[in-house]
Amino acid sequence: MTFLHRHKGLTPYLLLLPGIVWLTLFFVAPLGFLGYQSLQTGTFDTGYTFDWAFSNYWNAISDYHEQFVRSFVYAGIATIVALLVSYPLVYWIAFRAGRWKNVFLILIVAPLFVTYLVRTLAWLNILADQGPVVGFLRDIHVLGPDGRLLATSVAVVAGITYNFLPFMALPLYVSLEQIDGRLLEAAEDLYASKRQAFLRVTLPLSAPGIVAGTLLTFIPAAGDFINAQLLGTPRQYMVGNVIQSKFLDVLDYPAAAALSFILMALILAGLLVYARVVGTERLTG
Amino acid sequence: MTMRITRRELVQRGAAGVTILSLPGLLAACGGSSGGGAGSGEVADVLRFSNWPLYIDFDEKTKQHPTLDQFTAKTGIKVDYFEDINSNAEYFGKIQRPLSQGQSIDRDIIVLTDNERFLGLMIDKGWVEELDKDLIPNFSNLIEAQASPPFDPDRKYSLPWQSGMTGIAWNEKETGPITSITQLFEDPKLKGRVTALNGMGDTPGLVMLDNGDDPSNVTDAAWNAAVDRIQKAVDSGQIRRFTGNDYAQPLSQGDLAAAIAWSGDIYQLLSSNPNLKWALPTKGGIIWTDNMIIPTGGSVPTASTYMNFVYDPKIAAQITAYVAYVPPVKGTKEILVKSDPKIGSSPLVFPSDEVLASTHQYDSAALNNQTYIEQWQKVLGA
Amino acid sequence: MRWVRRHLLPAYAFLAFCYLLLPIGVVILFSFNAPSGRFNYVWEGFTFDNWIHWDAPSGIQSAVMKSLEIGVISTIAATALGTLLALAIVRHRFRGRGATNMLIFLPMSTPEIVLGASLLTLFLNRQIVTGFGTIFIAHVMFIVSYVVVTVKARLIDFDRHLEEAAMDLGANEWVTFRKVTLPLLAPAILSAALLGFALSIDDFVITYFVSGPTQTFPLFVWGAARVAVPPQVNVVASAIFMVAVLVMVGNVLWGLRARRARESMPAAVPLPEALPRPEAA
Repeated sequence: MTFLHRHKGLTPYLLLLPGIVWLTLFFVAPLGFLGYQSLQTGTFDTGYTFDWAFSNYWNAISDYHEQFVRSFVYAGIATIVALLVSYPLVYWIAFRAGRWKNVFLILIVAPLFVTYLVRTLAWLNILADQGPVVGFLRDIHVLGPDGRLLATSVAVVAGITYNFLPFMALPLYVSLEQIDGRLLEAAEDLYASKRQAFLRVTLPLSAPGIVAGTLLTFIPAAGDFINAQLLGTPRQYMVGNVIQSKFLDVLDYPAAAALSFILMALILAGLLVYARVVGTERLTG
Repeated sequence: MTMRITRRELVQRGAAGVTILSLPGLLAACGGSSGGGAGSGEVADVLRFSNWPLYIDFDEKTKQHPTLDQFTAKTGIKVDYFEDINSNAEYFGKIQRPLSQGQSIDRDIIVLTDNERFLGLMIDKGWVEELDKDLIPNFSNLIEAQASPPFDPDRKYSLPWQSGMTGIAWNEKETGPITSITQLFEDPKLKGRVTALNGMGDTPGLVMLDNGDDPSNVTDAAWNAAVDRIQKAVDSGQIRRFTGNDYAQPLSQGDLAAAIAWSGDIYQLLSSNPNLKWALPTKGGIIWTDNMIIPTGGSVPTASTYMNFVYDPKIAAQITAYVAYVPPVKGTKEILVKSDPKIGSSPLVFPSDEVLASTHQYDSAALNNQTYIEQWQKVLGA
Repeated sequence: MRWVRRHLLPAYAFLAFCYLLLPIGVVILFSFNAPSGRFNYVWEGFTFDNWIHWDAPSGIQSAVMKSLEIGVISTIAATALGTLLALAIVRHRFRGRGATNMLIFLPMSTPEIVLGASLLTLFLNRQIVTGFGTIFIAHVMFIVSYVVVTVKARLIDFDRHLEEAAMDLGANEWVTFRKVTLPLLAPAILSAALLGFALSIDDFVITYFVSGPTQTFPLFVWGAARVAVPPQVNVVASAIFMVAVLVMVGNVLWGLRARRARESMPAAVPLPEALPRPEAA
């Protein structure tokens, strides 16, 4: 202990060391290798050589821009829907649920404890062509007599929304819960209607939660491939599906690496823009 | 106060345990997996066998695999049976790294399909062990048609497990019989209720036959014509999606009216849905074979002993009775005709010579053609 | 009209919960189904059979065991690493604090597929064989960030007066840490550990890339989904779900009891505000 007393400045570095080493070895270095591999050419049979093949990037974009756009559109829709769906729910829990707040919170988080795949497979069951949901929608003529939900973009986006809803709800809850009720009282004392109180007090104060929730939902959603694979068709395939197939089916590692890097770059770019708009401290907190 | 102490102890012990635990994990990762089985020479105590799901006999009541138990009773060798092969590509992707380093994957037998490039690739790259034919006297029971495949002309490394045919399956409640690819791809009544197999040797093969081309000798023209047709059917929404085995549930469920499907699957599905039918298209179908191979590091004597065991027609009959694919072992039909006439006389399991004549094996060189591979992946949507 | 308005929000909340829990209900329900064929999508009869013979499908038992093993050890490792990181970041000033923050934040903002793919690339290039060890490495890597965030949140709100009081009473830093800091931090560390465990047990994408021939439960489900998902998958999923809910409810109830216990204890020691506080040097 006296060693640490004398070298007080060392303490933080010692605390940091194991974690940083781990992250450097297994997060930073792999990304480096990914970059390296993305500039290689070759096939599985003949082996790969590094030759600054920036063409991989160009090919990735030109061949798969459709999937990139689609991924961001799906993720965006899913995020917005998740926000709209969870906000009232979380509002109710934070402000109206009283003693049972934590129990309801558990109910929101609970679905996360059923394996992601099993949750998605359950939707295959629920949205089956011969099932009650589709039958109902056909009866009320939202779907044509031959209409279906599975193997469409609707099913894929719905699946993504459902799977990431808790990630939107939790940060929202945290920020809503911290709002001091007295602020709302004060607003009402100052003649604000309920609606005004909400729009001008609650909503802005919940902004950090909205930001966090949006990020935690959009980012994984953009890279998802499971919903598209199980609930959709090749016409709904996202970038994730392409990367997966290139890595594990076609064994075209350079192309897969390039695609992964582009995806990451796009997300980071989006993050930076978002951070500008929103304020950096909220991001890294 | 008691709660406090418990929590603190928990955290203390946890924190102390970390360093101890994370090191071995790290070392294990760097060290790689341990060496293989008994190596050549001695028969081991355990046979490690990886296979496709639902591809060996299974007793619903006892939850056991009878032939595996019989094998253990006869030879004293236990069997660790893994049903972890769901796709040739995925499985190959998992095992290729250690194999390329010459390391064992802790398996003595794995089963890969000749209809995809990976089987040939394994043999070409030398990632397989040679069979010990001295331990496989039953080798003579191999049917003639399988004696000399292009990827292993002397049968030094592989032995067929089961064969199957690729044709068209349909649900009688949803549609009448489907006899051709043209019907499958172009009948408007079927729009969006049809799936095709994602195997490069399956769907393009059938389409080539429908176009009048020969899938055992693929030319660029034949390939492009087939791919164009398939792409059109995808774009028009006729083909709902591409599947592996996962057409089975939607077809049974009625979500699909028809699917390009494998013969044995349908037989197995009949118990849950008697409305399912399967047939080769009139213009011909594809025949493929799943082969047993011994990956690098597998125990040759143990694996060979097992292979000999399943080439006994009595054992082959038991397996085929459950799996309902085409057995490669002579004498199986005679046994099943007596013990299980339904299977013994099924054209799905014992196709007539006429039917066999209309089946074709897919060109294995075409399977390895990089251009075709990329084109096919594009069609698959990725 | 006012009745409707007053009940609109709760009604909505109810519907939203139905939506959230419907698939879970379906999963649990069908774990009790007795399917005649391979497929488990039509209700055919109630049975406990699947729960009794939960390990009937080949490989499910070893997959579940592997998932649990990896879950436990990677959670322990990640929680330890993450707690240390959080302590360093919140309580100390050092060069590169901003960069460290970034480094910890980045894995959470990288899609899992990129994390998995890049790890696989590393392993392929360094000739490291994928399997149990690599899954462990991957899980610790992506869990650490979540642990840091969770523990950090609690650390930031941490009342340092208690530690100062302890030190005023003669405890050195290590003793203070052990007897004051850690116990107070324990709930957050435990939450972080639970979160980490949940993330590990459920992880599919990253594990899919780096697992090699090792099979975890999510990987088993993926394989089964290609053919036919046996009801035992529902059984295992439901079991994990129920255990998790029980643990969380237990945690909440425990917290309530602890709070009630504390509130009912008379203040034996004058609160630190009453003591003369040494001004920060």
